[in-house]
Amino acid sequence: MTNATTAGSKANEGGGKFRNTMLYVRQHWQLYVLFIMPAFLMTIIFRYIPMGGVLIAFEEYNPFRGILGSQWVGLAHFQRFLSSPDFMRYLTNTLKLSVFGLLWGFPAPILLAFLLNRVLSTKLKQKIQLILYMPNFISVIVLCGIVRILLSPTGLINMALGTNWNFMTMPAAFRTIYIASGIWQGAGWGSIIYTAALSNASTDLKEAAVIDGANIIQQIKAVEWPAIKDTVLIQFIMSVGNIMSVGFEKAYALQTDLNLASSEIISTYVYKVGLLDGNYGFSTAVGLFNTVINVILLISMNEIVKRMNDGKGMY
Amino acid sequence: MSEVILKDIKKVYENGYVGTHDVNIKIKDKEFIVLVGPSGCGKSTTLRMVAGLEEITDGELYIDGQLMNDVAPKDRDIAMVFQSYALYPQMTVYQNMAFSLELRKLPKDEIDQKVREAAEILGITQFLDRKPAALSGGQRQRVAIGRAMVRDPKVFLMDEPLSNLDAKLRNQMRAEIIKLRQRINTTFMYVTHDQTEAMTLGDRIVIMKDGYVNQIGTPVEVFNKPVNLFVAGFIGMPVMNFFDNCKLLLEDGVYYAEIRGVKFKLSDFQQKALKANGQQACDIIAGIRPQHISVGEGELTAKVEVSEMMGSEYNIHARSHDDEVVMVVPTVGLDTDVSMGATVQFTTEPDLIQLFDKESGNNLIWYDEASVAANEPVCKSYDF
Repeated sequence: MTNATTAGSKANEGGGKFRNTMLYVRQHWQLYVLFIMPAFLMTIIFRYIPMGGVLIAFEEYNPFRGILGSQWVGLAHFQRFLSSPDFMRYLTNTLKLSVFGLLWGFPAPILLAFLLNRVLSTKLKQKIQLILYMPNFISVIVLCGIVRILLSPTGLINMALGTNWNFMTMPAAFRTIYIASGIWQGAGWGSIIYTAALSNASTDLKEAAVIDGANIIQQIKAVEWPAIKDTVLIQFIMSVGNIMSVGFEKAYALQTDLNLASSEIISTYVYKVGLLDGNYGFSTAVGLFNTVINVILLISMNEIVKRMNDGKGMY
Repeated sequence: MSEVILKDIKKVYENGYVGTHDVNIKIKDKEFIVLVGPSGCGKSTTLRMVAGLEEITDGELYIDGQLMNDVAPKDRDIAMVFQSYALYPQMTVYQNMAFSLELRKLPKDEIDQKVREAAEILGITQFLDRKPAALSGGQRQRVAIGRAMVRDPKVFLMDEPLSNLDAKLRNQMRAEIIKLRQRINTTFMYVTHDQTEAMTLGDRIVIMKDGYVNQIGTPVEVFNKPVNLFVAGFIGMPVMNFFDNCKLLLEDGVYYAEIRGVKFKLSDFQQKALKANGQQACDIIAGIRPQHISVGEGELTAKVEVSEMMGSEYNIHARSHDDEVVMVVPTVGLDTDVSMGATVQFTTEPDLIQLFDKESGNNLIWYDEASVAANEPVCKSYDF
């Protein structure tokens, strides 16, 4: 009886709070509209309305007839892509580039953040951070230019090795070049979020670990890793969700006719077919295929992480 | 033997700020010493230097006779309890308590025995499988103490361990720390800004201000024999009443304290002590504790501004000329009107008047120049 009464009163309390909140919202609805409306409109206009363009994937799209006037072909473009002899090569190249990029590139900023967190002098730390963040502001095309110059037969790398290999023509070297240059450019910038999360690690806890006799690795394991674990997991889920979204610019800019065997990925293919050949319907279908796989990966990974992390995931 | 000796310990930070100036404290084996003082006085810095969390700029630290300046914290055989509990949130209570022992690679059954013993003493056995987030503040603090206990350290360091608790829980935990101290019987260094904690827990109290030790003494000593104005004002609740512009008079070889025109003939002890010190007549600040004021008699008068009924006593805030006077008056047997706006007469026993030099602020009776020169200020002792 007592328990029932308590539970009932708690439910009433909860209901009362909700009613009060709703009453407050109703009284000040103009403020809420003013606050929410811009974001709502932006999302609708720039995120949802363009989704209508997905219809192009099911049409023989003709820009003069428009989306609604073009001929409906159903899943023909998808069938064509999936049955094309190059499909597996594009898919494999894309997946290899993404997965290896994730495996090598994802831990790099985390390790960098751990290292930065160990720098005690604030001034030195700021200088190191400035140097590490700078590559992020180099445009992809300039970066690729630098990479091409460094790796050219007369470039710095060949000079250092005493060789004259043309790395850019070697399909086996493409992925390493792509991933290593990506880490060089993005690891510093990517470490910001982890450095910020690490600043939440309790100083007392670190000191307690020191007194407990933990060495650096044990301190990281006991104090620093738990402080950034949730951030790492969310970043990981998002990265897995983007596994198929390898940007075409960098791959395209590092592509040569001789390394196409490993450098031709879905996004460069979409660019070539869609924009260079004007085959919009087919390229949209390929792009949509890419997106659907991304969404499936995102949802699956989130579920896996939730199971492994006490029910905590991205959503 | 786990004696701790701080010899001329100095801390200067990179920006030149001096955290502590030549601190000298000798902590006896199994002694409970409390470092107390306002924020920024250097008490936590001193404790952290003992723990090895702050580098000692100058001076020597000995634990159990061994110089510890360059010894890593883990090798000092100390344990520390932090204000924020500092429990690993991802670990259970058991894992938290066992962590340091696992790092020392102790056998599992020994770890288990130590953890369960400590948990039993602290009454947290039922929480061993819980994570810190599922515990209340008091329970977390017990776990933090347990984590320190299992190490069986030579020195137990506590940095404001009760500050995050509410008043009721703080009182309860304070009593538990006293009981705990009796059970584990080791050397304690305890930092607090709360003078009640200092007075109730400490065998001796070290009162610090601006990086200097102002007085080291037993709770009774620092309460009854404050060496200067700061100690007198810091220890005691409510705060001691200070009457500025008073005089120490010397008439025919007899000392008097003149407070607002009223002359108090000082006690025999005060007479002897002042004579021994060769004290001349001078301007003084007279200090009288609120508990040492008697209401309804005497020549001093004050108008009651606020009268707080505390149950067994009244806390009266009154104004006497330009002085704000606080009086603690027992309710039992009180036959004087102490309501707001009433005018009351008050007085005190002369031997309860503290006499501070107006210029230096030092207590004319208890200030001991020799101990101050040695940076170990204690109250002066007399043979009579």
